[in-house]
Amino acid sequence: MASSSGLLSKPLFWLPLGLVLGTVLAAPLFSSSPSPLQSNALALLLSGTVVLSGYLFVVIFQPERF
Amino acid sequence: MTTLQPPIFPRMPRGRRDQRRYTERPRSDGLLGRAVVQSFVKLDPRLTARNPVMFVVWCGTLVTLAATLEPRLFELSPEAPGRGFNALLSLILLATLLFANFAEALAEGRGKAQADALRRTQASTQARRLLPDGSEALVDSSALRRGDQVRVSQGEMIPADGEVVDGVAAVDESAITGESAPVLKEAGSDGASSVTGGTRVVSDKLLIRITADPGKGFIDRMIALVEGAERSKTPNEIALTVLLAVLTQVFLIAVATLPPVAAYINSPTPVVVLVALLVALIPTTIGGLLSAIGIAGMDRVAQFNVIATSGRAVEACGDITTLVLDKTGTITLGNRLAEEFLPVGGHSERELATTAHAASWFDTTPEGKSIVRLAEKLDAVTALPMDTATGLEFSARTRLSGTDLADGNELRKGAVEAIKGFVRSRGGTVPADLDAAYERVSRLGGTPLAVCWNAEIFGVIHLKDIIKPGMRERFDQLRRMGIRSVMLTGDNAITAGVIAREAGVDDFIAEATPEDKIAVIQAEQRLGRLVAMTGDGTNDAPALAQANVGVAMNSGTQAAKEAANMVDLDSDPTKLIDIVTIGKQLLITRGALTTFSIANDVAKYFAILPALFGKAGLAPLNLMGLASPQSAILSAMVFNALIIPALVPLALKGVAFRPSTADQLLRRNLLVYGLGGLVVPFIGIKLIDLAVSALRLV
Repeated sequence: MASSSGLLSKPLFWLPLGLVLGTVLAAPLFSSSPSPLQSNALALLLSGTVVLSGYLFVVIFQPERF
Repeated sequence: MTTLQPPIFPRMPRGRRDQRRYTERPRSDGLLGRAVVQSFVKLDPRLTARNPVMFVVWCGTLVTLAATLEPRLFELSPEAPGRGFNALLSLILLATLLFANFAEALAEGRGKAQADALRRTQASTQARRLLPDGSEALVDSSALRRGDQVRVSQGEMIPADGEVVDGVAAVDESAITGESAPVLKEAGSDGASSVTGGTRVVSDKLLIRITADPGKGFIDRMIALVEGAERSKTPNEIALTVLLAVLTQVFLIAVATLPPVAAYINSPTPVVVLVALLVALIPTTIGGLLSAIGIAGMDRVAQFNVIATSGRAVEACGDITTLVLDKTGTITLGNRLAEEFLPVGGHSERELATTAHAASWFDTTPEGKSIVRLAEKLDAVTALPMDTATGLEFSARTRLSGTDLADGNELRKGAVEAIKGFVRSRGGTVPADLDAAYERVSRLGGTPLAVCWNAEIFGVIHLKDIIKPGMRERFDQLRRMGIRSVMLTGDNAITAGVIAREAGVDDFIAEATPEDKIAVIQAEQRLGRLVAMTGDGTNDAPALAQANVGVAMNSGTQAAKEAANMVDLDSDPTKLIDIVTIGKQLLITRGALTTFSIANDVAKYFAILPALFGKAGLAPLNLMGLASPQSAILSAMVFNALIIPALVPLALKGVAFRPSTADQLLRRNLLVYGLGGLVVPFIGIKLIDLAVSALRLV
């Protein structure tokens, strides 16, 4: 069983967490979209891009982990 | 006792070694099928996340899939592409991921086939462990620990790696080397005391001290390595990963900030097209092939029957600038043969031959036996009482060997300086004509061995050294590659100079002691050079550990094998030259495909940018005359996907290697893969566009 510290060091633990939080925070920015589904989708896309960029920074600074 | 058939190595090279370079092993059954299955298994995001470029493609695929399910999901503009276009794009991106996974799975599968063969030698074996009271207990091989002693008799399998403590036996090592001829193993010999678990005693019996705990043996390490279980990224791979991640980051930011600019110039860009643009911009070709190139490099080394302890070691071979080589066995044939006797000090040839015969009586080396044979040929057989005499073994430190008679007489043969010292220490004098005989042999490139009886020197034996065929050409090749070769020999400076000149090595160290090896390596490293060397004895272990690439012979001691970062299963020291070539080829292949990958992005810009911003005045950039914006995007994406499997054979086989300098290699690389990477996509994308238009896919 993975320890909690091991889990916290895994990018795939942080990526979904960042996505969910980012989507919730960014959704109001797209409130003018025709539907709530689209505003959530665009918020998810934005936060996904930011999280992906964060992941690439981790790869750049800790390449041996990958 | 377990009786197992030795595994058949599917890629075991056969025939003369110089004729089996880059031998492609036959494809294992089901390898392609397993690679296809693994391509889908590797879609798991936890695995894809290890490759930043392909992870971005994976995320892009999710976006296009979502847009396929609901085309209006991300779009505010009425001109958004339809479900059909999105579905096609999703399929192409998925194919890109699968092709990259397939390349990696194929490379891994080739290693696993060898691991399976090795694993068959690992069936549990019963062993006779020696107990402190001298009795034996039958135990499972998995219960053996380092330090235990076991007795193994004819027909039995050696249960674990160890050193022979007592006995002499023939051992069938075909399970690991593929060589069917049994090898002699005996205690106390540097080259023949180490035994490997899974091999079989075919005659007599041995008492073995176990040197590896279960799971830590030689075959266990080999399995872990060829399966890639211990594969960690090499420094060059890490550097390239960072470069690819930086490029990907730059393009991700560029693409993410594009929509506001596009909106400002009244060219709104759909999200799926932005995804296509991002995938076209990032270096997916090298991203998809990077790990396959590394795994294939290990595989190519294994095809030469060499086991590398890490990819780092294989890669280091490519950077080697100095080769430190033993003369005997590497540059010259191992067996020097006595050619003639040169008497000095007024002695006759017969007197010298008889003394040499007695001094070589206990010498079991090929050189010693050849002296005995030559003396017998001259009918100069010793009449001394050899049954009561004892032999003195040659040592690298004293550099002489010989026979001690029961009455106290000492017969010696060895390096001329060593014999001079021996004679002087016993109050004798050196004959005036000794140096002339010594120089005569040395100038012929032979090894002079002086012979003495107590304090009297009788003459010199000419041991003829034969340079291996093709060595000069190989050293010429190395020089063209910018690699300096240094020959180490115990011979005198004149002989060493003659051999060095004939063989074409760049430098030599004469009258070298084992300590000189490590000194030479350290001196080269201080000059910023990377050094490779081979060795087999325990006294080679420090130098093997010090060298950047240390290749131990499988016939060598456990200490040498543990200190080295490669083990040659064929125990052929000249293979070091081949290994360096493979390392260079690995680096060149990676460089060539990186150049091609970055160059072929240029054509994709010319396909996608006019498609995106045609209305904003970039239509003249449509140099290829692509049919429509959507067709241009699809064509670029299809090319992007297809180029990965097209380059898989090159990634696995390696770029053809021609010995040349770094500048020449760079020029050739830029010309073939840089220019090729620019031109090929233009042709490929245009042809795909014609096909897409003809099939009316968009």
